[in-house]
Formats: sequence, structure tokens, C-alpha cells
Amino acid sequence: MTHILLYTDKLSEGYVILFTGLVIVFSGLLLLTLFFKFGLPFMLYIYKIITKGPDKKVAEISSKVNEEFTGEVAAAISMAIYMYLDVKHDNENAILTIKQARKLYSPWSSKIYGAYNKRL
Amino acid sequence: MKKIILIFGVLSLLVFIRPVLGFNTNSTNSEVSARSYEDDITVAEGFVSEAFNGIKQFYQYTGFANAESGNIIMILIGIIFIYLGIKFDYEPLLLIPIGTGVILGNIPFVAGNQTGIYEAGSVLNYLYFGVVKGIYPPLIFLGIGAMTDFSSLIANPKLMLLGAAAQIGVFATFLGALYLGFNLPEAGAIGIIGGADGPTAIFLSSKLANGINVLADGTTVKNLIGPIAIAAYSYMALVPVIQPPIMKLLTTKKERLIRMKPPRAVSQKEKMIFPIVALLLTTFISPSALPLLGMLFFGNLLKESGRTERLADTARTKLIDIVTILLGVTVGASTQADIFITKDSMLIFALGAISFVIATMGGLLFAKFMNLFLKGDDKLNPLIGAAGVSAVPDSARVVHTEGLKADPQNYLLMHAMAPNVAGVIGSAIAAGIILSFLG
Repeated sequence: MTHILLYTDKLSEGYVILFTGLVIVFSGLLLLTLFFKFGLPFMLYIYKIITKGPDKKVAEISSKVNEEFTGEVAAAISMAIYMYLDVKHDNENAILTIKQARKLYSPWSSKIYGAYNKRL
Repeated sequence: MKKIILIFGVLSLLVFIRPVLGFNTNSTNSEVSARSYEDDITVAEGFVSEAFNGIKQFYQYTGFANAESGNIIMILIGIIFIYLGIKFDYEPLLLIPIGTGVILGNIPFVAGNQTGIYEAGSVLNYLYFGVVKGIYPPLIFLGIGAMTDFSSLIANPKLMLLGAAAQIGVFATFLGALYLGFNLPEAGAIGIIGGADGPTAIFLSSKLANGINVLADGTTVKNLIGPIAIAAYSYMALVPVIQPPIMKLLTTKKERLIRMKPPRAVSQKEKMIFPIVALLLTTFISPSALPLLGMLFFGNLLKESGRTERLADTARTKLIDIVTILLGVTVGASTQADIFITKDSMLIFALGAISFVIATMGGLLFAKFMNLFLKGDDKLNPLIGAAGVSAVPDSARVVHTEGLKADPQNYLLMHAMAPNVAGVIGSAIAAGIILSFLG
């Protein structure tokens, strides 16, 4: 059992862990730093060379692909979105909160009135 | 009319409770035959004593009979947590579930009825399972990953080092805990409080200080998950209180005025590559942190891939909410007074406060140190170093408000997010290292 030897002095092992831990954390994040500083631009550069040619421009996208998508369809969709977001009313708030009514007293629910009425 | 109803009601009430109060022995039915009278008495006496016993037994099961001072103190603490969350808006999403959990866990009860969180088979115990086995933290990390925008980090990778610098708090606390006489695994779990990251702290303490593991010299480690989690979360909530004085102490007015140049725009490709590369690099360095870092970067990939918006949306809203609720309540409930109020818990709380201070100082000082090598508008505002203690996004917000206090036109939030998220990665790596050393 070699590791029992290590346990004989907790503090010295503590220091070992302290320093190696810090070094590893730093080197790990340093590695990430270096990669994103230098590695990533290089990768993107390579990717550009592999794919060649610039990205498509808007003008080059053919409108023939979507011939079935007419102006009416677009209008219907936009109408639906507009109705859903702004106009539709019957989508009520699902949160139920009992609020204190401003008017505390009403003869309609008064017990005293009920009692008096019965006596009469 | 009303009076008549009242009198009738009182009379009927008296009639009903008369047997309970024992008035029945010389009751009105004296004219009935002797035998039935005796029967009545025995029945009545049996009824009375049974009723009394029932009430006595019921009382034995109530919280009033079993309450101890510890329970009352913890319930008060729970209420204070809730108050802090509501009144001062200190991380209410954490403090209110935890505060409620603290109250739940400290309602006094009779042991053995599968009620308490530490009793096998109780509902709370099943929910606590996710904490004990470290299931919740990776799920939280998935949500954090799906929420986090790493672009400021990608734009300025050197800020990653600030996240590493703040981890000095972890290791310094670890050493402090060793000096105070904790075992190595316990000290490791306590140290991670300095990472200022609740899920990481729970994850590591569930692996190291879970009350199950046996050390080489035959002693069992203590179960410190509750105190560590509570300490980590409460200090995270108190970041707006702890950090500003240290920031003011360690930075000059001139340094606080430094304006950093706005981060460059980051392309979508870079954002997509980041989680994959960072996942590979960090988990190869520290495989023990795989559950945390894996889920973190997986969540981020869901967000940035642009094809899995639904999954990302669930991860960063519903899923993380559900897990936060369960985690908060069960961690809170794990503070059951007879297990929680110990000398160790107090020490852990003291160490936790110190570790936050050291971590903040580490970040600030390292930012100043980096400034020695940087020129012109590359210079860092040292305040953002303080955001290196993860505590996402609270410490970044604190940095931002402190920066605004020095210069109302200096918006640091974007810059502070970089060390902030780097701190999350850093503390997860640190947890992995500690786990691989001591696990």
C-alpha cells in the first residue's frame, strides 16, 4: 500500500494538491486561451480554404425554388401570426389570484339583511 | 334570533364535549335502571380514557411535543432566507426554495414514520437521492450551458485566466480546512465552496464527504453535503454584500475607471466550435469533472448549433426550473437540526466566507498582474477579475454596478461575463482535480 505513506502527513499532501491543482487549473484554462487565440482562427482559415469560394449572396438565391410559396400564403401566415400575438383575446391568463374587492360591503350578500328579512 | 342560535350552538357544543371533559359520571340519566346505569358508566369511562389517550397520543405526534431549540433556530433561519430573497432580491430563485426546505426539514416529527429526509423510504429521502448521488448538478449545468453565451470569452480568450485565478480560493480553503482538522476528502469538499458554484459544490461533496466513503485509516467521512451546499448557496446569494468592499480595497479609483474596448463580433462558427473544443480539452485534462463539464458544453452546443432550439429551450427553462426546485427544497430540508447544527457546520460557514474573500482577491489581483503586461486599450479593468468567482451571473452584475459607480458611462457587464463563465469552467476543472486526487 503505497498511498498510506502519503496519508501520514495530511498537510504536506494538502500542499501538493494545492500546487498541482492550481497549476493544472491554470494550464487547462491557458490551453483553452491559446487555442482560441491562435488555434481557432487557423482552423477557420483552413475551413475557408477547403470550402473555397465566398458564401452565397442574397441575390444569388434562386426564387424559382419556392414557386408554391405565393404572396397569398405569406399573407395568410403573417395574418395568423398577427392574430396570435396581438388580436386574439380568448387566451386568458392562467394565473388565478383572488383579489380583495374594493367594495367590502354589499347588501346582496349580507347576513344581517337575511336575518332581518326572516324575522319580518 | 341570532342570540338564540348562538345559545343553542354553545349548548350543543357542551353536550358534545361533555364526555371528553368527564362530566358524564353524575349525569342526568339517574332514573334509568341500575344495571344499564352501570353499563353506561363503564362505557363512558372507557370512552373518556380512550379519548384522553387518543388526544395524548396525538399530542405526542405533534410538532409542539417534539420541538427542540435547534428546530426553532433552523426554522427562523429558513424564514430569514425567504425574507432575504423577497426583500432584497438576493438570488430569490435559490433562497426561497432553500428557505422553504429549511422549514420543511425542521418541522419536528416522531422518527420512524418515514417522514424525515434522512429516513429511508420517505418521499423527501427519494427526492434527496438526486443530491446524494450527484444527479441534479449535471442537469443544472445542462441548463446553464444552454443559457450561457460564451461569445465574450471567445472574443477575448485571455480573460479565461481570470477564471483560473479565482480558483485559488478553492485551494486556499482546502488548506484552511486541513489546518482545522478535517480529513483530506472533507477538506476537498469544503474547499470547493470557494468555487462559488452551488451545483459543483454539491457534486463534489456528494462524492467526497457523503458519510459513506471509508478512508485508508478506517474512519468514515462525515456527511457534509448539507452544510456545504447551504454555505455555497447562501454566500452566492450574498455576493452583492461580500464583494464590493474587497473590490474597493484592492483597486484604485483610477483602475476602476479603465475602459475596455468592446469585444469583437464572434461568428456563429466560432460559437459552435467552442463547446466541442472546450469539452474535449477540459475533460481530457480533468476527466473526473466529466458529468459537469460534459453537460455544460452539451447544453451550450444545443444552444449554438441553431438546429436544436427546442431542446435548448427546454434545458434552459423548464428543465433547470424543475431541478432547481427539487434541489433547493431538498438541500434546504437536509439541514435537519440534529444533523446540521454541529461545530463542523459552523467551521464550514466560516471557511466558506473566507474562501469567497480569497477567491475575489485572487481574481482582482491577477487582473492587476495581467495589466502589467498589457498596453493601451488592451488593459483590463481589474474589477472584472472579481467576476472570476463563478456565481453566474450575480458576480458579473456586481462588477457592472461597481463599475457604474466609478464611471456612470462604463458598462462592464459584457466584459465581466467572460471571467464569470470561465470561473464556472475553472471551478469544475478544480472539482475534477480534487476528485481525482482524493476520490
